[in-house]
Amino acid sequence: MKGKGFDYLKKITAVDYTDHLEVVYLLYNTKERKDEIVRVKLDPETAEVPTLMKIYPSADWYERELFEMFGINIQGRETKKLLLELWNGVDFPLRKSFTWGKPYKKME
Amino acid sequence: MAIMRINVGPIHPGTHGVLRLVVDVDGDTIKSVEPHIGFLHRGVEKLMETRMYMQNPSYTEKLDYIAPLSWDDLYVNSVEKALGIPVKEAAQYERVILLEFQRIASHLLWLGTMVNDIGQLFTLFMWCFRDRAKILKLLEDVSGSRMFYVNLRLGGFNKNPPDDFVDRCRALADYLQERISEYPDVLDADSVFMERTKNIGILSRNDAISYGVSGPVLRASGVDEDVRISHPYYIYDKLKFRIPVKTNGDAYDRYRVRYEEMLESISIIRQALEMMPQGDTAGMPIRLIGPAAKPDTVVMQEELPRGEGIIYMVPDKQRPYRISLRSPAFINLSVLPKISENMRFADLFSIVGSLDVIFAEIDR
Repeated sequence: MKGKGFDYLKKITAVDYTDHLEVVYLLYNTKERKDEIVRVKLDPETAEVPTLMKIYPSADWYERELFEMFGINIQGRETKKLLLELWNGVDFPLRKSFTWGKPYKKME
Repeated sequence: MAIMRINVGPIHPGTHGVLRLVVDVDGDTIKSVEPHIGFLHRGVEKLMETRMYMQNPSYTEKLDYIAPLSWDDLYVNSVEKALGIPVKEAAQYERVILLEFQRIASHLLWLGTMVNDIGQLFTLFMWCFRDRAKILKLLEDVSGSRMFYVNLRLGGFNKNPPDDFVDRCRALADYLQERISEYPDVLDADSVFMERTKNIGILSRNDAISYGVSGPVLRASGVDEDVRISHPYYIYDKLKFRIPVKTNGDAYDRYRVRYEEMLESISIIRQALEMMPQGDTAGMPIRLIGPAAKPDTVVMQEELPRGEGIIYMVPDKQRPYRISLRSPAFINLSVLPKISENMRFADLFSIVGSLDVIFAEIDR
């Protein structure tokens, strides 16, 4: 995508449709002022996307958020550091299967 | 000299919120900075999935307590887009006027506190707060409350504006024009301010694009990009205004961009007041939202005072199925390790200040 002039990554986010996960990339071309949305369907059990950090450094915090909130594995990142850090990294709050009021599991 | 690790925050007056920075310094020179965020995480995106559409503005307002109306408007606008509800014409004008006043109020608060942090003590701070109070008074008279307005409804406002709305806005715009023009006289003559912002925290044009920063931070690095121009909403395509762009990308340029933006906002307000039609601006009552046609997804972007805010929403019948918020301050902060490298430790806070971060929005 970067070759086509989409040089600006606006946002990475994800949606849980219960039967599949969808990762959404919002890209932008700053020269021609054009938007592009890329959607990737994933299996919730084995969700994994490659890292974009080499191409778009702005992907860094969004990818950490994806892992923490949706449990989507990011291929090619050395560290699994959480973004918000106060969460345990075991339950994934923005998945629809997340239930409220579960006892808080401590991070190992 | 050995590298020393210093912890800053999470409670620190220079960070304007709960930000923890782990800084490695060699003498007085910063070798690396690692921001730790998340102390204010409330899970707003998850909460908003459980509330009905018009219950949510009270959450979106608290995302940015300095410019609540801007986030509120972005959210309400995306719901209007999802449900296919047109906004009344007079209400569009009124929204633009209030949004630009809100932008000025936000920039004024930023300017006052930022210069206060870096040693220009209290003169400008008091001036900025004096002028901001006048804007808040106007917004209070229009909406009914001073800080959290919750006055937007689908298609318009909760009520019509006061009878003297246009005259008051015009008088306030004149007042602000006169006052704001005085600020550079104070700042440019102040060697402390100049030394602590010129060539501090330089962000190059290429880095600004690849790190995805937006708003005044992006424009200070020489990128001519503004959502009001590239994706016009409401009546912005009918108005003539200039986008201030600077090329150095340092803290001083970020101040200049915001400062010139305030003057542009005043000119936008004047034009909108000139063109504003007579008419009803009241929107729908909160409860009357029937099941509506629903598109698969809605993407809505608006220019908030801190940069480009985006809402990516998967709408359902009565409530959002999933709502994702792009917070401009979040991604502006992620560039901090890059631009503070090899700066002096004391300048760290003019850099953090110049990014205009707000943690309610970053942590969500």
